[in-house]
Amino acid sequence: MTVKIGIPRALLFHNFIPYWKTFFEGIGAEVVISGLTNKAILQDGLRLSVDEACLPVKVAFGHVEHLKNKADYIFIPRLVSVFPREYICPKFLGFPDMVRQNVQGLPGVIDNNINMYRRESDLYRQFFEIGSLICGNPFKIALAIKKAGDAIKRFTARVESGLRPDRAIDSSYSEDGPAGRKDTTVAVIGHPYNIYDSFINIGLLKRLEDAGINVLTTDNVPEKEVNDHVAHLNKKLFWTLGRRMVGAAYHFLESPGISGIIHVASFACGPDSMTGELIERKARRIGSKPYLNLTLDEHTGEAGIVTRVEAFLDMVGTKEQAARC
Amino acid sequence: MIGFIGLDVGSVSTNIVFLDDEGRVRESVYLRTNGRPIPAVQKGLKQISRLVPPRTVIRGVGATGSGRHLAGIIAGADVIKNEITSHATASSRLVPGVRTVLEIGGQDSKIIILRDGIVADFAMNTVCAAGTGSFLDQQAARLNVQIEDFGELSLKSSSPVRIAGRCAVFAESDMIHKQQMGHDLPDILAGLCEALVRNYLNNVGKGKDISGPVVFQGGVAANLGMRSAFERALKKEIVIPPNYDVMGAVGAAMLARDYVSRGAPTAFKGFGAAETDFRARSFECDGCPNFCEVVELSESGAVIARWGDRCGKWSNSVPQIACG
Repeated sequence: MTVKIGIPRALLFHNFIPYWKTFFEGIGAEVVISGLTNKAILQDGLRLSVDEACLPVKVAFGHVEHLKNKADYIFIPRLVSVFPREYICPKFLGFPDMVRQNVQGLPGVIDNNINMYRRESDLYRQFFEIGSLICGNPFKIALAIKKAGDAIKRFTARVESGLRPDRAIDSSYSEDGPAGRKDTTVAVIGHPYNIYDSFINIGLLKRLEDAGINVLTTDNVPEKEVNDHVAHLNKKLFWTLGRRMVGAAYHFLESPGISGIIHVASFACGPDSMTGELIERKARRIGSKPYLNLTLDEHTGEAGIVTRVEAFLDMVGTKEQAARC
Repeated sequence: MIGFIGLDVGSVSTNIVFLDDEGRVRESVYLRTNGRPIPAVQKGLKQISRLVPPRTVIRGVGATGSGRHLAGIIAGADVIKNEITSHATASSRLVPGVRTVLEIGGQDSKIIILRDGIVADFAMNTVCAAGTGSFLDQQAARLNVQIEDFGELSLKSSSPVRIAGRCAVFAESDMIHKQQMGHDLPDILAGLCEALVRNYLNNVGKGKDISGPVVFQGGVAANLGMRSAFERALKKEIVIPPNYDVMGAVGAAMLARDYVSRGAPTAFKGFGAAETDFRARSFECDGCPNFCEVVELSESGAVIARWGDRCGKWSNSVPQIACG
């Protein structure tokens, strides 16, 4: 019987799913992914998680709860570091432990460390260990890791060409879809689990696209571009996601084709409060692009988001009109 | 004559204004929403209909505020606009050259930064309602002070007490503590104004370049204590425009005027809308695990609008009105 691996559609899902899925399928497992976040998932997440956690972590609890009866193993790796000399948020490190403590009736849990702090090549050994839990054939595991590496490279190339990760995951998505034809482009900066989860951001990206706006996100900015922009900071940003957000925002602030920037933050997120500040200060110094900060929380109502986004788009629109006159 | 109507349906107040052909504010009505926006809008329409000169043709209607969609459907609005744009429009036209708008309403507060007449930046209060009108209301009621006298009384203070304004709950316990220590009522009220202003500037106005002319509007601008606390904190003169309490409605009416000036006919349903039987009900859709709370509005028994669903299953199944 095929082993079923459950992967929650939460946290770093949008960053790594092509790798994870290809890898597990390569060693003969079947991958089960939890559905899109909905109210039931959120409610379960709120019930199961500790109060101090941020909304994305609470949502991730809900996804685990909804997967636990559908898979033989839940894959929630302990994400320590995904870039040399950088860290992922400590709540991610503790996530597998919090899940084990709070979620009843779990199947097997695969929570091996993913830690590339020392060197990127450590990833190979870590996935080899994960593969050995399920598959006895070392050649098959090695091949699966190789394929997974290729898959993530293809995915990154698609995303860096301007496709949204949530669409790039879907290999059938055609790149010359509705995007890319509009006059106005707005950059959305935020953690992937906030900006691609349309439930917790109350349909932000769709709202923008429906308003005739082309959307680019943090993930569309190539790594090199990000690093060139953060290189001027006084101190190295050692949170991977924070560094990417700041670098991408700085890049967009200097791109003539971008009409405005929306920063999406989680309430109670430490790094967000700082990266938000870094971005806002630069946006204000440059002064030419409208900037909006949206803070998401479980209490976030539709009205609050809609009003802010509408006002932001009015600001973008009048600015462009004034520039044309 | 011809004229324009602006509706601002907020959490605490519902405001309706009548603008003449030139865009001047002729009449205004300020009502409490009392948690029931439909009757509030209808009552407001009725009151304003008595105030407008006979044989006036309403050429355009604009709606704003958190109840703008509801109000827009009931009255038949040509423009349904968010509060930021509406407030900014009104102040930039009534106070030429304005660079900062401080607006404090019932449940929210905002700051709008304008440069050369256009919005350059804005912010609204986040998860916290400390520093909004309803908190002042609530504290005035607790201290047995009429909200109308609040400002006047606080100006009598000689040394305002220091109150923690970070959170409404803590501010209240801090005030109770100060009152039990024997501090004077005016000093406590003035201290509360200072705390709210501090909270507003740190939270909503965080990092914004507040340069003059500074306009203070919204219902709370009626409170002289708040005005003077802002003046002390910003060390700037604060302009309170006439009609400061209905600026959102004024802006919405101005936007409606702009909109119909391009030749569009108005969608206004007439003042008869005040007499029509509008009913709203809500239900939980069980079509998917989102369990959206759908609101359904009907006019004389026929469903005219639905909203609140994420997927559009309900809202798209009734004819939509155009949003300007």
